[in-house]
Amino acid sequence: MVLKVFFPSCCSSAESGILIGRWISEQNSAVILAVVHFPFIPVQVKQYLSEVQRVTKVSVSVLGSWSNSKQEKEESLSEFLEDLGTIFSHEPWIQISKEGDSKFWSCSTLQKHSNNPKEEEIILVYYDQRKVMLSHLHPPLATATSTDHKADDASKLSAVFDTVAKSKILFMTDRYDDGPIKLTHWQSDGVEASIIVELMKQASVPACMLLTFLLSLISGICRSRVLKFWPLSFLWSKLSTCEQLGHRLQHLQVISSNKKAQNQTQLMRKANIFVSLLIDVALGILLMSWLYRKNRIGHLADTLIPVADHVAEELQDLLQWLMGAPAGLKMNRALDQVLGRFFLYHIHLWISYIHLMSPFIEMILWYVGLSACLGLTVALCILSDIIALLTFHIYCFYVYGARLYCLKIYGLSSLWRLFRGKKWNVLRQRVDSCSYDLDQLFIGTLLFTILLFLLPTTALYYLVFTLLRLLVVIVQGLIHLLVDLIDSLPLYSIILRLCRSYRLAAGVKFRVLEQQDGKPLRLLMQINPLSYGSVIQTYRLPTYSCYPKDSWTSLCKKLFLGELIYPWKHKGEKQD
Amino acid sequence: WQKVLYERQPFPDNYVDQRFLEELRKNVHARRYRYRAVVFQSGAVVQQLCSVCVFVVTWWYMDAGMLSPQGLFGAALVTSLLGYVLFDAVDGGAGRRESGRTRWADLKSTLVFAAFTYGFSPVLKTLTESVSTDTIYAMSALMLLGHLIFFDYGANAAIVSSTLSLNMAIFASVCLASRLPRSLHAFVMVTFAMQIFALWPMLQKKLKARTPRCYVGVTVLFALAALGGLATVSSVGAVLFASLLLAISCLCPYCLIRLQLLKDNIHGPWDEAEIKEDLSRFL
Repeated sequence: MVLKVFFPSCCSSAESGILIGRWISEQNSAVILAVVHFPFIPVQVKQYLSEVQRVTKVSVSVLGSWSNSKQEKEESLSEFLEDLGTIFSHEPWIQISKEGDSKFWSCSTLQKHSNNPKEEEIILVYYDQRKVMLSHLHPPLATATSTDHKADDASKLSAVFDTVAKSKILFMTDRYDDGPIKLTHWQSDGVEASIIVELMKQASVPACMLLTFLLSLISGICRSRVLKFWPLSFLWSKLSTCEQLGHRLQHLQVISSNKKAQNQTQLMRKANIFVSLLIDVALGILLMSWLYRKNRIGHLADTLIPVADHVAEELQDLLQWLMGAPAGLKMNRALDQVLGRFFLYHIHLWISYIHLMSPFIEMILWYVGLSACLGLTVALCILSDIIALLTFHIYCFYVYGARLYCLKIYGLSSLWRLFRGKKWNVLRQRVDSCSYDLDQLFIGTLLFTILLFLLPTTALYYLVFTLLRLLVVIVQGLIHLLVDLIDSLPLYSIILRLCRSYRLAAGVKFRVLEQQDGKPLRLLMQINPLSYGSVIQTYRLPTYSCYPKDSWTSLCKKLFLGELIYPWKHKGEKQD
Repeated sequence: WQKVLYERQPFPDNYVDQRFLEELRKNVHARRYRYRAVVFQSGAVVQQLCSVCVFVVTWWYMDAGMLSPQGLFGAALVTSLLGYVLFDAVDGGAGRRESGRTRWADLKSTLVFAAFTYGFSPVLKTLTESVSTDTIYAMSALMLLGHLIFFDYGANAAIVSSTLSLNMAIFASVCLASRLPRSLHAFVMVTFAMQIFALWPMLQKKLKARTPRCYVGVTVLFALAALGGLATVSSVGAVLFASLLLAISCLCPYCLIRLQLLKDNIHGPWDEAEIKEDLSRFL
């Protein structure tokens, strides 16, 4: 098998020394992590390596020797290097040497206990240690359906990435440290750190504790018994603002917890939640500042009442039209008048109610607008709730019409069975013949006739109010879709993909460098970043999303039968 | 030659000898009809046709205003009481004892249905206001035709459904009743329909079973009354109706008996096996 040597490109100009890293025997590849320079005491090197191994759980060992000589190869040096192979026994002992400034290195292996003495082919793969150390390899998403070959490749790569990532402690010692060992790796010129990050790390601990305390207080209040009584709990469950606030509270709890993130996914999720919250609040404050300038709240309040009045007037016109001969259809006059007057009276009640509330509207709006500082999503939810409250009468009409129509359809279907002399057998769930009494037959047929002739009238009212209700539902659904989008978009991951694309790796690509006969093949390993689609798919934040409860056919069936429809189902709701 | 296929014979497989079709029987189950019996039975059909005719004529009179609702109600009430008494007198109370239906139950159902109809009569009156007259006439005609088709004339056919026929008749009566001027008219019309389509056939069935001669006489009288009523409305209609009745009662039986001669059912050992046992002892 071909021997693969992964060499960090930062060590290309290092002084001569021995190579330390990890040997992956299943793949016949050596991952070189650092170069230890002369002089060193082998015992100390071995001690250091065993300590590193204990901490990082990566089997780091001495893999071979590295000689970077400005002049021609010296025989004595090469013999010395070979002797080193006996001190640090490792099979196979890799020897890499670079002459002068030539690009082509010579690589050879020493196998003491091998059966076949033939020359092994070696491939040198250069890798950027910093990028590989910081990146996170995402396995291909369709691992279940891919062939074993692909899975093997993925595990090979992940072994390499894992090795570099776990050996973090190895890269902590830079050349300014006074230790017995002198290493060269990507951080040997000084450990990378920034003051801001350190300060934030220090400041985050007390901030987190304070936040946790506040959140526990708030959630304690929310969970108190006072707010759980039946009318209030029903109200909370219906208002989408409360759901959104609860969701955000959960997010805050996730961020402010004291436990460090265990793995990459948790870290990314925390970061995504944090950035999302930040952007949300920023947009909300922007909205607030725009709203409160130039007394826009006052304007809004002033236009709200006329809009509600206008809607009510339109509804009244609609009902008058229905009470006449709408679209040339013939309605039963008596029933028409009854239904029309009933609904008109409701609208009259509604208008009086709105007018009663009108002096308080501006104040209510002013205080409610303040809550936009909690985030743009909260503001949108409040908007959706205001729409629901303002169109409450449409909802009421829809329920009346639907119940009436449902009753009628149910009665008609049952009486139609009576008409034919059949009955619904509940036990066997089928239609059976039945011999009815004379008076049952008579009254049944009479009712059937009445219901049949009154069907067009009821159906029309039902149709009109259902369409109105569907309109309102669609508008609310659009708003919720927007809120969902803001909630679930992983902004941090997208920004990371934009700026530091090597952090999210989907795989690697190899570039073949110049070759020379007799020298090993040289490849440059470059990181292939994830596509934006898979970034969003992998790091999407879970939401309490609303999705349609019914398929199209069952929705149509429900509409036809007059059952009440609540098209959006929240994730937490129980199935019925 | 033997009539078997499992032995090799010198004859071809499809050979038949002179005993071919010996076991053929013709018209084994053919019934012999007698003219008078068939005419007697056709009285049921005649009865129903006359009922429909009487109903339509009565409605016509009410619509034209020549018959007052109170008058109709009174007449119907008297005849109903008469029929009620007759119903029990014909078989001496045996039917009532058998079915176990008390007079109190009868009274209750009468009251229930009368109250119901009276209460709903304003609704019934305005039911078809917006529907055009032609539609109403077409629907009623269709429903009455259906009533005649599905009525139980005593035959044991699958198409018979007494429930459906009664319901169709009531439906037609409600449709027609909603065209009348006032709700009292509608109430009386529906009650009359109920009597003529539900109660009258019950009485007739009993009469037919018990007193055939009386039954024949009643049928003839009823037919004459119907013809007379129709004649006052439209003479052409009366002539047509009379011819229809004659055709059904006299011509159709004759045709039936004549066509029996052309019957040509063959039976033989190739027929499907019929289970003649009474399986009810296994159930």
